[in-house]
Amino acid sequence: MDAGTIVAGLLTLAILSFLYRDNPVYKLAEYLLIGVSIGYILVITWNNTLMALLFEPLLSEGRLWLVAPLIMGLLMWGRFHRRTLALSRIPIGFMIGSGAGVAIPAMLYGRTLKQMSATVMPLTDSSGVPDLAAIVVIAGVLTTLAYFYFSREHRGAFGGVARVGTFFLMVFFGTTFGYTVMSRMSTFIGRMEFLLTDFLRLTH
Amino acid sequence: MARKFPLAVCFLFGVVMFLQYFSQHEAARAVNQAILDYWQIVFAFTLILGVFSFARNNVTEVRRGRDRVYRIVGLAGLLSMPVLALIWGIKADTPFMWMFENVQAPMQSTVFALLAIFVASASFRGFRARSLPAAVLLISATVMLLSRSNIGGFFSDVLPDVANWIRDYPSMAARRAILIGIGLGSLTTSLRVMVGIERTWLGGEK
Amino acid sequence: MRRLQARHYTFLGLAVVITVTMLLNIRLDTRVSPYTRALHDYIESLPPGSVLMVSFDHEASSLPEIRPIARSVLRHAFRKGHRLIGVSLLAEGTLIGYRLMQETAAEYGRQYGSDYVYLGFRPQYIAAILAMGESIRDTYPRDYLGRPYDQFELLRSVENYDDVAAVLSIADGSLTTHWMEYGQARYGVVVLGAVTAAMATTYDPYLASAQMHAMMAGLRGAAEYEKLIGIGGGGARGMLAQSSAHLYVILLIVLGNVAYFVRRREGRRD
Repeated sequence: MDAGTIVAGLLTLAILSFLYRDNPVYKLAEYLLIGVSIGYILVITWNNTLMALLFEPLLSEGRLWLVAPLIMGLLMWGRFHRRTLALSRIPIGFMIGSGAGVAIPAMLYGRTLKQMSATVMPLTDSSGVPDLAAIVVIAGVLTTLAYFYFSREHRGAFGGVARVGTFFLMVFFGTTFGYTVMSRMSTFIGRMEFLLTDFLRLTH
Repeated sequence: MARKFPLAVCFLFGVVMFLQYFSQHEAARAVNQAILDYWQIVFAFTLILGVFSFARNNVTEVRRGRDRVYRIVGLAGLLSMPVLALIWGIKADTPFMWMFENVQAPMQSTVFALLAIFVASASFRGFRARSLPAAVLLISATVMLLSRSNIGGFFSDVLPDVANWIRDYPSMAARRAILIGIGLGSLTTSLRVMVGIERTWLGGEK
Repeated sequence: MRRLQARHYTFLGLAVVITVTMLLNIRLDTRVSPYTRALHDYIESLPPGSVLMVSFDHEASSLPEIRPIARSVLRHAFRKGHRLIGVSLLAEGTLIGYRLMQETAAEYGRQYGSDYVYLGFRPQYIAAILAMGESIRDTYPRDYLGRPYDQFELLRSVENYDDVAAVLSIADGSLTTHWMEYGQARYGVVVLGAVTAAMATTYDPYLASAQMHAMMAGLRGAAEYEKLIGIGGGGARGMLAQSSAHLYVILLIVLGNVAYFVRRREGRRD
């Protein structure tokens, strides 16, 4: 068995020890994980992004206009001191503004309009037979939207419509819960497979 | 000035990025590309800032003697990655990759795997059919789980079609309504941010 | 030693169920869902040599579920002779994607530079997705290991999404949403999804609106895909344990409810 498998196996057991209760071995592993993860982000961001997008083009190819994002990036560090805090708002303003600018058409067209237009379908086929699926979809969307409409009290006919929306929501939550259980179980199975096959060699 | 200038920057870049969406002109596309590149670079600096902030807080706590051993282990982990990358690089089969594959990834996925156990525990203790909507939720979840299990017979032949229908229509419809709601909410929030009505991102200090 | 509580028995029960079923090592036959088949058929329908962008939009936490999913689609794409460009929009997906692409390409004797290239990580996924719509070369002037873009034969003919048949987002979160709302809506790129089961219902409306062309989800999806391409892997291996775990959770739900209703009835009698 190679050293990597032994280390990974022992660290896996250290994390699993939390199932019994919180303990120093788990805590050590937890801090090590946080440290290594953050160190990893530092390396990948520096090596793979800042070097490729900023420092090499700026220093080797002389693309001087890249001084602008460099200055903005450095201004972010103003957050560490009260007197320079205001400077950090400039790059934040740039990022927030750019994000808002691109989000408006994306949210309007890429999300809302596309989803709305996909909802509007013929409710019968060419021979006039009702299309149950299309009816369910349009009823589900409208009643769920009614449930989330809080500018009017949920009473009377409107309250009834909103209540139907609750049932659609419960179907969605139940479906999502079922799929989430599957996902979590898959992850657990993956770790158990590692322990049983690679670490303990009980199965192939 | 400490607030007005960042607000002006936010408005300016918001308007530019909004308007360029409607233009295919070469100049507009060049501006778009430049701003998007700058955005990524500035964002990368924020990640580095986060790393520095983590290190600074932990060094302070070590000095105070709080959870000293744990924090030293955390800092050692943080330092080890850039040191390994600096000496051996980030290719496959380097110590940097070894650390990721044998230390970080196994621990991180095991932490996530713990959720399976808590989901099982929650299913036993909290998943009750207390009301009709709760019963609908419970039945829907159970149908999904059964339909994606290889039990054979009815459960493998008929139930998957029923489950797919539930997923494709009633469940999808509710999710679509939520998406439309979030879309409209995000749209108005973006507009409020751009024109300076929503200013929480400036923080509370002058 | 502290006394074991009810939750400890629940944990132990699950561990025993999974351990026993894994030791049995029985492979179950899996019925292929229409979702997985649609993804398979799309990749199969592309002419060999098509350029696919594979985006590793996930973290290390979901690796046990993501690995079989990603490996099955990558195997299919490489076997079919497609050319792949790997990117990652989450830092942790970077090394996982790099390793997976290298390993799978080696299985089929594919060459780096002409059959596949790995470009690596870009932060701020919205900016990265939009920027690649303008120019992949400007967004990634160098590959993961810092070599210039134009050095690679595969990349010389790729300027932006117009030269890419589809983007396959391998995700454990909502990042694929951005591929559709920014990449697909603005630049018309075809988006495919290979996601964890927990995210399946999140993307259903996008599948229904055709913003996402096809999607497979979860370990079960991986098992189905493995069946379609006729290559065994992690998905098929885990299916008995997965099915048993589902039944175990259903049993817990039933037991919990029986206990609840018995208590409620007793409460009414009192």
